[in-house]
Amino acid sequence: MNILARLEHWKEQGAISGEQHAHLAGLSRGEPFSIFLELNLLLYAGVVAFVVGLGWTVSTWSRQLGDIVVLTVLTGILAACSWYCFFRAPAWSPAETPAPSPIFDYVLYLGSLVWCVELAYLENRFHVLSGQWDLYLLVSAGLFFFVAYRFDNRFVLSLALSSLAGWFGLTISHWPSHQDAEYRQYALLYCLLVGVGGALLERRGLKSHFFSTYLNVVANVLFLALLSGVFERQGYGLWFFALVIACGASLAWGLARRQFAFVAYAAVYGYVGVSSIFLRSVNDNTAVMTYFVVTAIAMLVGLVQVARRFGRPA
Amino acid sequence: MRIYSASSEETLRARKLLTDWAGEGFLTDQQYQRLEQETVSDLRTTNIFLRLVLFVFTLISVSAAAGLFFAVSGPSEQTIGVFFLIFAAVCYAAAEVAVSQARLYRYGIEEALAACSVGFLSAGILFAFFTGSPYSPKLESLVPAIGAVFSLWIWRRFGLWYAFLAAMIFVVFLPGYWTSSHSAQHLIVAGFYATGLICVAAARSRHRFDYLDDAYSLVEAFLWLGIYLAMNLKLSPLELPTQWWSGTRSASEFAKPFYWTTWVLIWCLPPIVLTRGIRQKDRFVIAVGAIVAVLTFVSNKPYLGWPRHTWDPMLLGILLTGVAVFIRRWLGRGPGGIRHGFTAARLSGTDKNWMNAGSAVFGLLTPQSITPAPQTGSKDFRFGGGASGGGGASGNF
Repeated sequence: MNILARLEHWKEQGAISGEQHAHLAGLSRGEPFSIFLELNLLLYAGVVAFVVGLGWTVSTWSRQLGDIVVLTVLTGILAACSWYCFFRAPAWSPAETPAPSPIFDYVLYLGSLVWCVELAYLENRFHVLSGQWDLYLLVSAGLFFFVAYRFDNRFVLSLALSSLAGWFGLTISHWPSHQDAEYRQYALLYCLLVGVGGALLERRGLKSHFFSTYLNVVANVLFLALLSGVFERQGYGLWFFALVIACGASLAWGLARRQFAFVAYAAVYGYVGVSSIFLRSVNDNTAVMTYFVVTAIAMLVGLVQVARRFGRPA
Repeated sequence: MRIYSASSEETLRARKLLTDWAGEGFLTDQQYQRLEQETVSDLRTTNIFLRLVLFVFTLISVSAAAGLFFAVSGPSEQTIGVFFLIFAAVCYAAAEVAVSQARLYRYGIEEALAACSVGFLSAGILFAFFTGSPYSPKLESLVPAIGAVFSLWIWRRFGLWYAFLAAMIFVVFLPGYWTSSHSAQHLIVAGFYATGLICVAAARSRHRFDYLDDAYSLVEAFLWLGIYLAMNLKLSPLELPTQWWSGTRSASEFAKPFYWTTWVLIWCLPPIVLTRGIRQKDRFVIAVGAIVAVLTFVSNKPYLGWPRHTWDPMLLGILLTGVAVFIRRWLGRGPGGIRHGFTAARLSGTDKNWMNAGSAVFGLLTPQSITPAPQTGSKDFRFGGGASGGGGASGNF
């Protein structure tokens, strides 16, 4: 019995009304057929292609065009995008707000990317901050956070999070020695800042729907930082302990909230970390293979139990 | 032929649609709960994340088991081939049992077992029959041929879309054994895909509104894309190994009539694919139509031997944005926002979920590829190479 026959059956049973039947049968037949997703992808691809071309053109032709022309064009695009967004945006609300027009999010994203291009151009041509790129990134991150919260835009929120990550990474690159340990500490600090910030904003009800983006970014950065500590030849015990705690927390969160991405993070990152500890002094192929057979089957059994108890039932 | 019964798969599909409709408010909670009781399936499913993790750990355990066997027994090369064939049979049997006994459906485990059986079978045939014997290209073509046939079987039996993709990839290797002519290789691959397309188009007309429609839709889209890539000499996967190896473009190896015929074809295919997708209201085929249209714009200048300009991507971006805005406005001006059965409005909660996930991921990824990386040591201003997002954060400073 296909879905159309099923809908007919439900209508005869009185489970759904005639109007519902007509509407749902139409949707099942693709009448009307929505191309919402396709148009959004086209807009996104268009914005990205445009900015790629803009950056390429500016970098190649900046000498021929001259600074005034380049800056006028970039500032003009930026001003037009800003004007459109501030002019069309609805009043701010802490709750999730739909975009006022279908192209709104993409105009905002275009403006944000053009901002990046213009900042890069300014610094490279005029060295305004004498190579202090970290300050640009910090300012950009702050601006992007403001814009993301003002206009309720996930694209720009992700830009803000990556700019902030860039600021942390760049700050440490000024140091005389670039040790993994320092990068790791900054990654943890980034996780702490973003995680606590996201949690506080969520608690205050400010764009609570952004929280999952924060959590996913924090989880991945945190696990990668901890794993890099576990991979160290010496002094890895504390990192391993922290990894185990993080995996437990991620698993508990994932199961409690039914966000199974966190269960997957715990399983994969945890398995990699534990395997690196167990296998670091093992050179025998047979032992290595035996380890993988036994542990992978154990993981399978555990995950099947998780899937049966918590996973989506059929 | 299919391991799952049609009623089980229809029930799962109905359940998925119910969830979507309830999320969009087309059904009340009471209706949803009542109808949900009528769509209980005997198949066991799980969510996408657990499915992926289960797939990975099944792959690890099977590969490690095979590795352990060889590490302990240390067989000769031909014996290895025989054991690979045995492993293939064991994996396939295990996949069948996982479905028939445990009723697993897109659960990761049975998928990984089926995927392993394809890999083991191909490796087994190669090692058992062709290692140590004189090179015979015609005979050795049996390896990708059997791989393709077995992948197709897995696709038909288990309904795994990526098995069909694997079959298409196996087909790419086939003509290399039969002829050294690059033109002939392109034609053979395109011929295989076109044959597949005709078969799929004929078969799917019987499944217009049932659970198989989506599967056939995806496969048809893959085949259209395959034909296009086989014909586009500037993008073709058949040419990429040569280009990487020699560092030169091999387009000059083609006869002029063939070269220019393919140029005509890459302009003809996008409208054909788009028209087919729009007439069938087929999401995947429309998407492939759009992709091949963009690829045609991108590869046109290399085809003609014209130089690329830095502003080409800008023009492409303006074109794409303009087309999207025009279509949206045109549809929006129709009665109820609908024209010819199409609407730009969102009708499914799934679309919203995709948008939310996509915007977060693309937002994180995009800056890495498009933002400038400053060159502190040089006065020349060059873009590219930002490594951590933001305004070209953490490139090579």
